Amino acid sequence: MKNLFSDKKTIALLSVPSIAIIGFAILAPLVVSLYFSFMEWSGFGAATFIGMDNYRQLVLHDGTFYRALINTFLLMLVTIFLQNPFAFVIAAILTKLKDATSRFLRTIYFIPATLSLVVVTKLWVSIFNPSYGFLNKLLQGIGFQNMQIAWLSNPKTALGSVIWIMVWQGFGWALLFYYSGLMTVPKELEEAAKVDGANKYQLYTKIIVPYMLPVIQSVIVIDVISSLKQMEMVYLSTEGGPGDLTQFIAVYLYQKAFRYSEYGYGNAISVIFVILAVFLTIFIQRIFRERSAGKKRVGA
Amino acid sequence: MTRYQVERNSKKTLLAIFLGLFVVAQVFPLLWVASYSLQKSGDLFGPELFKLPVNPVWNNYVRAWFDGKIPQYLTNTLLVVIPSVTLSTVLSFSIAYACTRMQWKLRPVAWFIITIGLTIPIHTTLLPNFIWYNFFGLIDTRIGLIISYVAFSISFNAIIFSGLLAGLPFSMEESAFLDGAKYRHILPSIIAPMAATGFATVGVQTFLNHWNEFIMANTYLMSEAKRTLPFSIIRFQGQYSSDYAVQFACMTLVALPPLLLYFIFNRWIVAGITAGAVKG
Repeated sequence: MKNLFSDKKTIALLSVPSIAIIGFAILAPLVVSLYFSFMEWSGFGAATFIGMDNYRQLVLHDGTFYRALINTFLLMLVTIFLQNPFAFVIAAILTKLKDATSRFLRTIYFIPATLSLVVVTKLWVSIFNPSYGFLNKLLQGIGFQNMQIAWLSNPKTALGSVIWIMVWQGFGWALLFYYSGLMTVPKELEEAAKVDGANKYQLYTKIIVPYMLPVIQSVIVIDVISSLKQMEMVYLSTEGGPGDLTQFIAVYLYQKAFRYSEYGYGNAISVIFVILAVFLTIFIQRIFRERSAGKKRVGA
Repeated sequence: MTRYQVERNSKKTLLAIFLGLFVVAQVFPLLWVASYSLQKSGDLFGPELFKLPVNPVWNNYVRAWFDGKIPQYLTNTLLVVIPSVTLSTVLSFSIAYACTRMQWKLRPVAWFIITIGLTIPIHTTLLPNFIWYNFFGLIDTRIGLIISYVAFSISFNAIIFSGLLAGLPFSMEESAFLDGAKYRHILPSIIAPMAATGFATVGVQTFLNHWNEFIMANTYLMSEAKRTLPFSIIRFQGQYSSDYAVQFACMTLVALPPLLLYFIFNRWIVAGITAGAVKG
């Protein structure tokens, strides 16, 4: 019977195609990227080897690259400290409502998350439009006459507007994660806390949030990674402008590569980007793992 | 009413307003676009905040459909999405089976390669793959795009399948094997039905993702004749830039199929997301 589960031919048939396709379309390009990151190349003709020059330029002299990193970091902060708490509170309220009401609201709140990035972006570009957009009309309606802000091209509002679009679409995801997490909190835990005389505020801060910590941590990991991966919304709305105020790393990489044909430099950004993504993922997961390991020891 | 009841009622009202505001924030932008998609472009510039289409201009949709070349883009999307969803589902089921139920030395390595796909951002592969695919003649082909779609969806899908497969008793294969069945029968007719919920979740989720995908299609496909559905919206912004109503009609048309799918398969989509959150 043992050889049933270790039949070599079956294992090969089942696993080789997936591994080959990931190797071909995800891992091989990493090597290609690394190779061309040491070159100067416009995509045509021969590439010239220039050693670490691309990396030196990127890390030491490229202000746009750092602007993109700062914006990514800002997006992470807004997601974690503004969007997540709202999502958590609403998820907590939803668990207390009647089943039908709760299901209805959850369905509604998740609608934006099912739309394509192109639709979502173009939708908000229209709402932010200075001449016919809804937002300016709303502001005029409540008394700000002459309100003609070009939300996406005004240096003061562009970054906020772009981040708003991202946070708006991501809200449904955060809500759903928290809701499904809250549904796993045992009822006895809540009842015991009530018997002990805990009020609602204490119930959440002392019992439910600590119980939900693993879920909160997963959501934060997802938030960090997805902040790093934001691209299409910026590419389709501001293209990083005005100036480079709304630049994000993937947009910058795309422009360097496909608008300016700086293949070598673009690949250097790709390599740094991969390192950043892998490093951040491992880093956050390690922080959380150590913490929860400590918790478990105390609990046991 | 007692003071207690008044307080309770006003608390309830406040809560309803709070939840209602979020409903408005999440849905109003869509209603705004849908409503003006049925009016004249000029109506958008009127002073009112929101206007319902009293005399709906259905012609906007007719124009979006034809001038937006939706039939062509739709065909192109289906030609990519049907193979990519099918392949991704079958391959991720297979690798999940091999990695959760079979015994082999390189298994941890294989699983590591599969899960690494979750960490590598798609965008870092766009430029190198443009060079790499060009080398194989895969640029501007549907096959090139399908390969990328499948590669980037296997990781998440395999994790969902592995969660389901790990819980099954090993006696299932063993007794079938004793009856003389081979793997090529055991997998499709005994194991796959046990993972039916996984197929539903993975199928719907992958379909939505690939239907909506833009940046890989934008990078790897160049000829107008092969481009996928999101390009109908982009095309309008260039060519009919002042025809806002038709643009809105086009956006509504493109958004509608995923929305319908979402309402029908709500349960499976939610199951997939929940699984994703648990695994992180």
